[in-house]
Amino acid sequence: MDRLKQFFLNFGLFFKGATDYKGRAYELLDAETKNDMDNFILICFSDQLGIPLPISYYTLELLPFLIDEIEDWDKRMDKRKSVWEERWAKYNLDP
Amino acid sequence: MAKIIFYGGKGGVGKTTCSTANSINYANKGLKTLLISTDPAHSISDVLEMKIGKKITKIRENLDGLEIDPEYEAELYINRIRENMRTILSNVIVDEINSQLDAAIVSPGTYESALFDKIAEIIIEKFDVYDIIIFDTAPTGHTLRMLTLPDLLEGWMGSLIKRRKSIVNMNKMVKRKYNEKDPVLEILEKRQERFGMIKKIFNDGDNLTIRFVINAEQLPIEETKKAVKMLEKFNIPVETLVINRILPEEIDKEFWLKKKKQEQKYMKDIEKEFSGKTLIKIPLLDSDMNKNTIDRLAEYFII
Repeated sequence: MDRLKQFFLNFGLFFKGATDYKGRAYELLDAETKNDMDNFILICFSDQLGIPLPISYYTLELLPFLIDEIEDWDKRMDKRKSVWEERWAKYNLDP
Repeated sequence: MAKIIFYGGKGGVGKTTCSTANSINYANKGLKTLLISTDPAHSISDVLEMKIGKKITKIRENLDGLEIDPEYEAELYINRIRENMRTILSNVIVDEINSQLDAAIVSPGTYESALFDKIAEIIIEKFDVYDIIIFDTAPTGHTLRMLTLPDLLEGWMGSLIKRRKSIVNMNKMVKRKYNEKDPVLEILEKRQERFGMIKKIFNDGDNLTIRFVINAEQLPIEETKKAVKMLEKFNIPVETLVINRILPEEIDKEFWLKKKKQEQKYMKDIEKEFSGKTLIKIPLLDSDMNKNTIDRLAEYFII
């Protein structure tokens, strides 16, 4: 019985994902990825913001490879107007 | 027998002379020995009255020396990053990163990391080349931190790797670049592997031992007691203590008699406090330690 239930659940999820209603799945995943990337940059170079980081010496060598991401991070931080707006964007309030 | 020996202890107790004498003793026995100073105020070259630089230098038969210069090592590292950068980035961005790298050279944690990195490099690369590697370290606090660093760094690297992996996977899902292996992840994994190697060497009781140098006086004893306790918490055993500058038996002046009596009390304390450990007793010698007299001291290291 459980397996049947699981099957229907997966079946439903498959169609939900395959048709991607209003493109929300991609959007959510993209937003989450960007968020994670921003956090990663923040951790790697937190000492530049005055937060001590024991491995700051070792993240230095990542700099050349992360430069694109840092630029994106810079842009996103610049554009950032309201933390609330970002949080609410997760929920699709439009009908 | 332990291959890597760290000499620790309070400032001024004679770490440098003892580690030098000990390494001479090993070299005389025919063991290939490397003596390394990590103290920013290098004095091995002063004791041996010769120039020992930031590159491994031959001191005498079977004995090589090295004085780590963290400033030089940090610069090497940063220049390596600059070199890497030029091959993959445009000039405008290179300038921008360069200013960040210049700032990093003078930031407070850099020298400690550079020093640790060099120690790690030597231990990994020279482990099979030498029979014995002896470190003359900076006063106690420094040494303890150095020995507990691999644990800390490995943990940090682990958490960065976990995050990076999830980012790479998610980026694959949203089909934003990263088709080949992520260079950031590669660098992080290489680092973690190195920290893991050092941690393994440090945690294996057969590889690493710490020897503390003390004088029969209150302050060095107290400090060493604390240090030993802390090291035991990290499973790093302290088996040997060197008691340096013990006053001679035959003295007549009242000042020295009083001093000797006090010393005897502290000697008893030491024997009680550090029971079960090997104690190497070294008398106060009548001359300064230099390249000619250091051999006299070396004879006392019967370990």
